[in-house]
Amino acid sequence: MIHKFFSDSMFFSRRLLPPGLLLILSLILSSCAGLSVNTQDRVLSARNRVAPALVHIRPVKEVFVSGKRTEVLTVGSGFIISADGYIVTNEHVAGESSEVWCILSDNTEHQARVVGVDPYTDVAVLKIEAERPFPHVNWGDSDAIEAGQMVLAMGSPHGLARSVSLGIISVPDRYLEGASGMTSPYNNWIQTDAAINPGNSGGPLVNLKGDVVGINARMLSGAENLGFAIPANIAREVVTEIVDHGRVQRGSLGLVFQEITSKTDDPQARGVVIADVAPMSSSYEAGIRPGDVLLRLGDRPLQARYEEELPAVRKAVADLPVGEALQLLLSRGDEEMEFTVTAEEESAIKGINAEFSEWGFTLVELTPELARRAQLHGHTGVLVSGCLPGGLAAISGLTPGDIILKVDEEDISSLAHFMDLYKTLQDSKQKLTMLFVQKGALTRFVLINRADNQSFVLDREILDHVE
Amino acid sequence: MLNKNTSVILLLLAALFSGGKLAALDQSVLQRAFDTVSPALCVLTFTQETTDPRSGEQMRQNGFAVGLNVAPEGLLLSNGHLQRENVQTFNFRVTFRIDGKEQSHPAVLLKKPDELNISFLRIQSERPLSLPSVQFDFQAGLALAEPVAIMGILGESMDFNRAIQEDRVISVVDSPRLTYCLGTPLKMGFVTGPVINSRGRVVGVTGFDLTVAEGGEIFSRSGHPLVYQASLFEKHILTPPDQTQESIEAEEAWLGIFTQPLKEDFAEYWKIDEAGGLIVSTVIPDSPAANDGILPGDIIRRFDGQSIRATQDRDVIAFTQMVKEQTPGAEVKIELLRDGESFHLTTTLGRRPRAAQDADEYMDEQLGMSVREITRDLRILLNLGEEVQGVIVRRVVSGSPAQAARIQPGLIIMSMNSFTITNLEEYQEAAAFFERDKTDEITLFIRAGAQTGFLRLRPRWQHER
Repeated sequence: MIHKFFSDSMFFSRRLLPPGLLLILSLILSSCAGLSVNTQDRVLSARNRVAPALVHIRPVKEVFVSGKRTEVLTVGSGFIISADGYIVTNEHVAGESSEVWCILSDNTEHQARVVGVDPYTDVAVLKIEAERPFPHVNWGDSDAIEAGQMVLAMGSPHGLARSVSLGIISVPDRYLEGASGMTSPYNNWIQTDAAINPGNSGGPLVNLKGDVVGINARMLSGAENLGFAIPANIAREVVTEIVDHGRVQRGSLGLVFQEITSKTDDPQARGVVIADVAPMSSSYEAGIRPGDVLLRLGDRPLQARYEEELPAVRKAVADLPVGEALQLLLSRGDEEMEFTVTAEEESAIKGINAEFSEWGFTLVELTPELARRAQLHGHTGVLVSGCLPGGLAAISGLTPGDIILKVDEEDISSLAHFMDLYKTLQDSKQKLTMLFVQKGALTRFVLINRADNQSFVLDREILDHVE
Repeated sequence: MLNKNTSVILLLLAALFSGGKLAALDQSVLQRAFDTVSPALCVLTFTQETTDPRSGEQMRQNGFAVGLNVAPEGLLLSNGHLQRENVQTFNFRVTFRIDGKEQSHPAVLLKKPDELNISFLRIQSERPLSLPSVQFDFQAGLALAEPVAIMGILGESMDFNRAIQEDRVISVVDSPRLTYCLGTPLKMGFVTGPVINSRGRVVGVTGFDLTVAEGGEIFSRSGHPLVYQASLFEKHILTPPDQTQESIEAEEAWLGIFTQPLKEDFAEYWKIDEAGGLIVSTVIPDSPAANDGILPGDIIRRFDGQSIRATQDRDVIAFTQMVKEQTPGAEVKIELLRDGESFHLTTTLGRRPRAAQDADEYMDEQLGMSVREITRDLRILLNLGEEVQGVIVRRVVSGSPAQAARIQPGLIIMSMNSFTITNLEEYQEAAAFFERDKTDEITLFIRAGAQTGFLRLRPRWQHER
């Protein structure tokens, strides 16, 4: 929304320094040669603790490009977290893949099962099986880290397995606004100058004790030594949810939050600003409006003076049990008001893709966010994500970005619904199918004429024959 | 063998060239045309300011174009690219060269006709002028492969010398209107240059059509130069467009629908005996069509007594034109097919709403941004519901308080402190209040894309001039 990506005028929550004595001790030590030997040892031992559990991941990803489903081989990193073979990596590494291969430190190769993924935090959990116990890492406490602390980034940058780089934590709680399709509403990021490159994704950020304090996931391209990791404490919670339930369920109130300073500098101001209220949400029905300030969520006081405090607020909402009523305390102008709302389940951030090869196009499930942007009333329709040039869909005038609202006279409620209708149509002898589609504010009719497809099919037959 | 074949081809080629049909223009014809037409050619210099629609950054540069004078008192045709979205052109100066002597005048842009990518300018002078002007042959057409001459000016380094070049009609395009395609790329100084046929008649001017996205018409994304036949702009020469824009808008009628042609297979699908007609694809909310109950899926078969049998995409444009030419407020009978049944209704046409390029704009010097009203077409383009009211940020001055507040072009401002902003007047009132009050902080309620939020802006009143 409001572009603040990597701006430098941000405020950070002031963390308390650890007890002074330790600090002084380390300062003294740093002046003698003793420390460098000591540091070298600690780097070595940290590396040696994690290296056996480090995983080189080769997923076969499904990508949907210009109306076709294709598979591409990519590379990422991960680490084993339990003796029975659970592996943690990024959602953007293992998500939407048809198979995932893991190469362990002993060079054995295992095909992994994807236990679950969470796009909101970019965390994925894999499982591999073997007779023997696997070496695994220990999680560290990411709330205990501080800027300046030395860390190692381990993984497979550009596919170069078993790479280790050394750096420090640059900022322990960097706030990154959603940008270019990446969003991380529920966490701040650990910023590090340890070299992180494509392929490092999913690999561990390790402290000198050899504990994993973060999952390396992002880098700022065009810059040097600006890498970002998901804090371990956030990741652990998500991993536990995925291992136990296969997915993460979150609550939503349909509210978008902004820091208090977006409205006022008043040092007395408390709470968090409500920037937007989703139409049709229980908050909207209850009468909550943009500009209201949320003070209390049930019994829990909320506070976000600066933007890096926002993820904690959003997480507090996400942690609400779905379907239960609760009281919100808001201030509007000089008044304090109470509202009763019910948390709904937070919807998926990504829709499922599907290919329809006979028509030569791909569709993606319309997420509530997409539906909202398209100003659709209700969550109906499916989104055309690509059309194969020369395919029936393209010939008929369907274009990527179209939202199919109706097939013949029937309203489309979901991708599954469309798939059913499509299958019926393919099995039937029906030559003409009318689609009612929307793009932006405009609607139009698109007629699919299967007679047009004959030349296309013929070409394919000839090609098959040649082969 | 090979030699023999080649010589046959050579012979054939020779026959073609000597056949006379593809003959070039005679030198004497060219010389005569040059002598009569070139005095009406003038050099149009101007300053152009281009705004980057995303960043709001502006770039100024000076430019020149050929101007073609069509009336002794000074009415110019020039390159339609002078009037485009995100481009402002001003500081016009027109220089004629008559009997070796230069004569220079200021000029102003007139409203651009929507159907042609040609700009019209009125030359300004305190005393009446009697300038050399070109006489078009409004009846004459061109034929395929006909040789033509185009007149233009050379660049500044060539002292804006008048020039003539030969070309040929390589294709005749008959829709959405009769246009001729030329074979050779055109240099800047030949765009809107007069086109002369083999009999020495001035039959039109050269030009390039704009794409729909640029607010113009369809084809020639190919980059091929076209000839606009003189009959296409005859009416604009006889009654030049207005300098102000309101009067033109008042004349155009509006129904408020988007349509697509009823092609054969559509007719087959809906079991309609005869193809042809316009399927209503979109009805704009709160438009005459919406108010009078026209629905998407209705098929227009008759409009104001005229049968509509559209089967081609280009027929849609003709229909839009047909509606435009009606009078706003007129009651028009429409015959529709709805669910296979014939259906009659009478609609009261409205006034065509202002387009974004004609929208009123306000430059807020204090806050460092310009804002404009949300016109109907922007509402459609940005897919904004009727409930979204405000002004839209057009550009943000570099280093300004607005930029410091992270305001970006395209953002919609819906309120400022206690002022609700639903239109440009309300913005101006609020801005005037802030300036009087020297308000030290303005909280804006904004919309960016599908989301709303707040921004804080700190004006710098001490920087007043």
